[in-house]
Amino acid sequence: MDRSRSAMRPLVLPIFLLLSLGIFSPAHAGNLIERGKKIAQEGNGLPGSTACMECHRLHGGGMPLIGSPRIAGQTKTYIEHEILGVKAGTRYAPIMAGVVNNLSQKDIRAVAAWYASVRTPKLPDVSPYDPSLVALGKRIALKGRWKKNVPACVLCHGPEGRGIPPHFPYIKGQNKGYILRQLISFAFLKRADDPQGLMRGIARRLSQKERQAVAEYFASLPPPPADGQPDPPSSRKASP
Amino acid sequence: MRHPLSLALASLLGALLPLGPLVATGQEIPAPPVSFSPPPDRKIPSGPFGDLVRKGERIFTQTGKYAGKYVGNDLTCESCHLDRGRKPYAAPLWGAYVSYPRFRSKNMKVSRLGERIQGCFRFSMNGVAPPLEGDTIRSIVAYSFWMAKGAPVGTPLVGTGMYHLPPSPHKPDPFHGKKVYEARCALCHGADGLGTVSGGEIGFPPVWGPRSYNKGAGLAKVGKLAGFIKMNMPLSKGDSLSDRDAWDVAAYVDSQPRPADPRKKS
Repeated sequence: MDRSRSAMRPLVLPIFLLLSLGIFSPAHAGNLIERGKKIAQEGNGLPGSTACMECHRLHGGGMPLIGSPRIAGQTKTYIEHEILGVKAGTRYAPIMAGVVNNLSQKDIRAVAAWYASVRTPKLPDVSPYDPSLVALGKRIALKGRWKKNVPACVLCHGPEGRGIPPHFPYIKGQNKGYILRQLISFAFLKRADDPQGLMRGIARRLSQKERQAVAEYFASLPPPPADGQPDPPSSRKASP
Repeated sequence: MRHPLSLALASLLGALLPLGPLVATGQEIPAPPVSFSPPPDRKIPSGPFGDLVRKGERIFTQTGKYAGKYVGNDLTCESCHLDRGRKPYAAPLWGAYVSYPRFRSKNMKVSRLGERIQGCFRFSMNGVAPPLEGDTIRSIVAYSFWMAKGAPVGTPLVGTGMYHLPPSPHKPDPFHGKKVYEARCALCHGADGLGTVSGGEIGFPPVWGPRSYNKGAGLAKVGKLAGFIKMNMPLSKGDSLSDRDAWDVAAYVDSQPRPADPRKKS
């Protein structure tokens, strides 16, 4: 008992020092966000680096016309996970792969912190709209297609699709082109960064019409409220 | 281990077996399980009965919102009875409706369905039993009756209740179960088992702790929980855990704290 405690002691001081230097302080979080904003705006300064805002805009609204996703207010955990997935090749994203290739671990954290902290209104989507699919999409979203073993989307993506932090992204108010392309990527292409292959199975079991309908439905909703907490704690603490 | 194909085959056989003639000739052959599919939503009729059915569905899926005074935790009926009470092996309502009244060793009584639903509120939702003749029970019973339309009464139906996992050849190991939990369950229910919230609303239900089912609930039995997990968890990937993992993870979840059984006076 004593021995193990003394074995741990050498670690205590350095950890305390790190903490007191403000590594984990709010001021540091502010710097990280600033750094993220700079990368979003200009790239990380390495030759050939591309600014995130070229596709995602500075405030994360994305570009509906080209199916570039809105990422404003997705959680840090999720954004980081996706960038790392693109970098590692587990997430199929031919365009973005080149962009994030030379981002460092810290750049990635910074960019994730920036986009998790920003809010922006939904941008207009001028792509053709098929209202006839919305009802089917809503049904799948809220009730599922259990005969094909497809649970309601909102069970994992939260009420109305507003996301369940930190791992499950919001999908309400996301642009249609992006949602549809991701469902296709999960189903047939090489997007394989979903935990336990959950989305791959679900996307594969949906028909093309159902995938379109789901995309149409979630794209028809407003994005989660601008005053929502960007990255609240993942777990429910003991109740009042 | 149950193979999906064998399940499908069993359902198919169940559907094909001509039960009518057997009954007609009065032969005493125990009926094989029959498969059943509940009617689609659009078949809910209009009028007062349909209204009651729809009310039952609302209470069922948003229990805290529509029957909040009887609910003492963060679960809804649908937390366990998946697909709005329609999914086989997640104690579907159509299976329940045709199985009551029945004798239950839990209280050594013959219970009606309404009384059984009262038990859900008291134990699984750690709340209080709604009155038997009140709107809450009446509408859930109506919803169940509608869902069972066309199902044979008193005949075993494929997927009724929970799946009975074969007895574990080893003693379920909560320590191994913890590893399984962390790898397969914590993503949604949280490493601390307390569930996850989404914008102030409940996202994934807590599987232990003060806001989960109490020790008197059906799922507080390891075997029942193991069967539920085996067939249903993770969502959309039912039957992907090995029997052993299902037993072990059930033992781990069962080893965690939760509210006391209200029948046991402290």
